Amino acid sequence: MIVLAMFLVLVLLICLNVPIAVGLAVAAIFGLVVVEGTGSVVTVALDMYNGSTKFSLIAIPMFVLAGAIMNAGGITDKLINFVNAIIGFVRGGLAMVNIGVSLFFAEISGSAVADVAALGSVLIPQMKKRGYSAPLAAAVTSSSASLAIIIPPSIPMILYATSAGTSVEQLFVAGIVPGLLGAFGLMGMAYYFARRYNLPREEAFEFRRLWRTMVEALPAFALPVIILGGIFGGYVTATEAAGLAVVAAIGVSAFYARMDFSHLKRAMLDGGVQTAVVMLLVAASVVMGGFLTRAQIPQDFARWILDITTNQWVILAILNVFFLVIGFFLHSAAAIILVVPIVIPLIQAAGIDPIHFGLVVTLNLALGQQTPPVASVLITACAVARANIWDVSKINIYFIGVLFAVLMLCTYVPAVPMYLVEVLYRN
Amino acid sequence: MDRVAKVLDQVLVWFILVQMIALTAVVIVAVLARLTGNSVSWYDEIAAIQLAWLTYYGGAYAALHRRHIGFDTVLLAIPMPARTYAVYFAEAVVIGFFALLAFTGYEVLMILEGEYLVSLTWVPVQLTQSVIPIGAALFVLCEIVSFPNYLRTCQRGVSLEHAEIEEEVEMELAKAQGAKP
Repeated sequence: MIVLAMFLVLVLLICLNVPIAVGLAVAAIFGLVVVEGTGSVVTVALDMYNGSTKFSLIAIPMFVLAGAIMNAGGITDKLINFVNAIIGFVRGGLAMVNIGVSLFFAEISGSAVADVAALGSVLIPQMKKRGYSAPLAAAVTSSSASLAIIIPPSIPMILYATSAGTSVEQLFVAGIVPGLLGAFGLMGMAYYFARRYNLPREEAFEFRRLWRTMVEALPAFALPVIILGGIFGGYVTATEAAGLAVVAAIGVSAFYARMDFSHLKRAMLDGGVQTAVVMLLVAASVVMGGFLTRAQIPQDFARWILDITTNQWVILAILNVFFLVIGFFLHSAAAIILVVPIVIPLIQAAGIDPIHFGLVVTLNLALGQQTPPVASVLITACAVARANIWDVSKINIYFIGVLFAVLMLCTYVPAVPMYLVEVLYRN
Repeated sequence: MDRVAKVLDQVLVWFILVQMIALTAVVIVAVLARLTGNSVSWYDEIAAIQLAWLTYYGGAYAALHRRHIGFDTVLLAIPMPARTYAVYFAEAVVIGFFALLAFTGYEVLMILEGEYLVSLTWVPVQLTQSVIPIGAALFVLCEIVSFPNYLRTCQRGVSLEHAEIEEEVEMELAKAQGAKP
């Protein structure tokens, strides 16, 4: 009964646009006062402090900062030229370039909104000039930006790993194949639209141009090499890789000699604020988590579901629907922090691999970024393209369909995300 | 009120920038030290404290600019004047929570008197944990200072998140156009 009352308090506060972090903490305090008395409130300050010192989350500001430095250092143009040289000759080449560059950007920043603003502002105007409709240009940009949270480094993955107590490195590895599948699937859909609307090819394929653009873009590949090579090779942890990524980003920007310091200052500030906003949520979740654990709520929830079914595929289907629905209304960080600690005992009891489930959660939230009312990535793409959100959504539904197919594949064929994890960590 | 907001903005901006640079420096020094076989004992504790400071001072800045993660669709759908009362109620909840946090944080500080960090034994825990009462008090101040503008925006039925995205997009578009030869 008290849990239901706390849930209602939380929903009421969220509906009134109280910051979700505050809503979470206030609902927890309500429960604490009712069950344990007013004396227990003093623990809130301790929990809020301890919650904000989670060491593994230091990777978040570092990855955000590395991405911001690379963006301020003029990497975008080099990557666009390189990917254009690889794939621009295909019909609908600019759409392919958009998806291909998103794939590279995903390796760097881990933030889809930052990617879509930086890439979209360069590519969408060009796409519109080349005959793409504004809604199509926005839909391609928006859907491909969601690859950023599937492909490592991914901030939602870091949050999931911390909330679920799993390895962030293994989760990063699990994201590689689904991310690539998503990228190729989106390219296939873009090609379908290119044929349908007779969209142009870009410049013809030329080895000389490919070589020149690759040499120009080469320093930019330092980041994926450090992040992926360092982590997967077992040389550094995710947090250490994030720190080294910042050093590499400074080096690359110095190499290009195009550091825009006013942009960098703003990017650092944004990185700090973005981290603070997420960390406040994490801190508040510790207050709530402590109460729920003492009240045995996650265990009761697990027992309740397991009384209905013990079939892990059915449980995954239920959780998929749940996360898809919650993705409509909550940002990915909030959804992970609110829900994952509650469902983890169920996942463990049902024998589902928490790394596999983490990937499923991440894919669900990637879809959530594309579905209004809370769809920051989609809204940003629409704003860049000057397109109506509903017009964009009518086209974007096809690209969402591709991401949904990847979600289903990863949910019901665990080998797709888990094969690399098994090879690298478990054999 | 605007002058207070400007001063708060500048102070917090520089604090966040210094924190970001310092945190990055600590992580990089620690990684390089470990890779060269000279691990530093204070790394975990200091970096975690820096993260906590970034959380609360950055959180206050986010409050000043109303950038915390929320969901305004339902609020903006409430007809006027009920929406105004709802905004006042929500604001009271936020300020009430951080006032409570400042108070309990101060009480905890009193209990921690005489305690020092494990790795840097000359640093009092009171200093590191002072972020809770100070950060919470700053949060309250930032909420009060930014409230009039937030109230007007809500009364007009405008989503702050959408306005912020528009601003970001305008900046990126201007940058992209400026970069063209």
